Amino acid sequence: MSLINEDEALIAAALNGSAYAWEKLVKRYEGKIYNQGLRLTGNPTDAMDLMQEVFLGVYRNLHRFRGDAKFSSWIFRIAHNKAIDLNRRKRLLSNQTSSLDQDEFSGFEALASGEKFEPENRLNKQQQNRRVMKMLAEIPMDQRLIVELKIFQSRTFDEIAQMQDISVNTVKTRFYAALKKLKVVSEENYVLP
Amino acid sequence: MSCPKTQYLLQEYFSDELAPLTREELDRHLETCEFCNLELESLLFTQSNLQQWQDQRVPHWDRGLALFRQDHRAPKPNAGFWSPWQWIPTAASFAMLCLLLLNVNVVANEAGFSLAFGSQSSTQEVTQELQAQLDSLQASQRDEMQQLVIRMETRQDSNNIRLLQAVMDQSQRITTENFETMYTYFEDQRLTDLQDMRSAYQQLVDSDYETIRSLQQLVNYVGYADVVR
Repeated sequence: MSLINEDEALIAAALNGSAYAWEKLVKRYEGKIYNQGLRLTGNPTDAMDLMQEVFLGVYRNLHRFRGDAKFSSWIFRIAHNKAIDLNRRKRLLSNQTSSLDQDEFSGFEALASGEKFEPENRLNKQQQNRRVMKMLAEIPMDQRLIVELKIFQSRTFDEIAQMQDISVNTVKTRFYAALKKLKVVSEENYVLP
Repeated sequence: MSCPKTQYLLQEYFSDELAPLTREELDRHLETCEFCNLELESLLFTQSNLQQWQDQRVPHWDRGLALFRQDHRAPKPNAGFWSPWQWIPTAASFAMLCLLLLNVNVVANEAGFSLAFGSQSSTQEVTQELQAQLDSLQASQRDEMQQLVIRMETRQDSNNIRLLQAVMDQSQRITTENFETMYTYFEDQRLTDLQDMRSAYQQLVDSDYETIRSLQQLVNYVGYADVVR
């Protein structure tokens, strides 16, 4: 059975009330969604919140999934939208608390300052990921989403444009601007430690 | 030093499907423009830095199972006060109690009172009926016992006869065997005696013959002596 057919079988079983099928379906995608959340939010707590919101959205709308698109595409689209919502909420919250001068994602600092979130992971892996998250924290959310979709999810510019409802040229421009900004940060991190 | 084409060309470089003409233009320009070349290298380096991301393990969570189970729990059966299933045992018990009370018969007499269930017959009638049933039962049992005894005796007699017959047959057979053995013994003994007697007679004859020969020798000797004289 292919992965897509297996997804569909698990969805059908979950809709019939199989908790085992639901758990298996969640296990298949939770890692990707959680890591996507880490890169987009830079904060394990927010990444967990995002992941839980994504799966809650999937659960609430599972009966609407028609199977005409891949389940993975559907769930990543939900994750994408939830990440935008979360970012918007956090920005509003930070405006209300008058902390405009703070970083958009203060979670990066929390992550960078301690290893309490992932004590079992190896240090190198943590350091690499932390460096990537620090780089991503330097670009705005719209560019970060495009970098996420282009580099980490290997989407085409057309797909990204369709997902974000913008033109392909805008996607290319934002991606190029993001890379230029990230280049500067990368040079600070790697060349000039 | 900068290049006016850098942004356009490098944006296109990261496109998914670069047109052949654009690719040629890009390659040609990169060969000649050092700025664009350096810019592209640094962007690719940045991209490779980002790609060093290694997936982290998801912290433990319940995967929404609590919500799932809550939503998919089987509906509870109707257990209200007026639930029909709740009243069925009570109604059945009540019906049985009514039947029991309607069939109770209380009879009072000098000795006190008696409680009975079922029909309204008096105690004496019941006693007589029971006595008659008991008598008939005893009589039938007695007859049956007598028949059983007779059958047992008959069977015992036949068994005795058969046993006696068997004993007699056995003793007769043993006696016959004993007689035959004795006859054989006597016959053997007779033959042995006859043989002994025959051999003794033969010895006697032999000794007589020897005696005669001795006498004859003696006669011959005497006769010879007389001749010599």
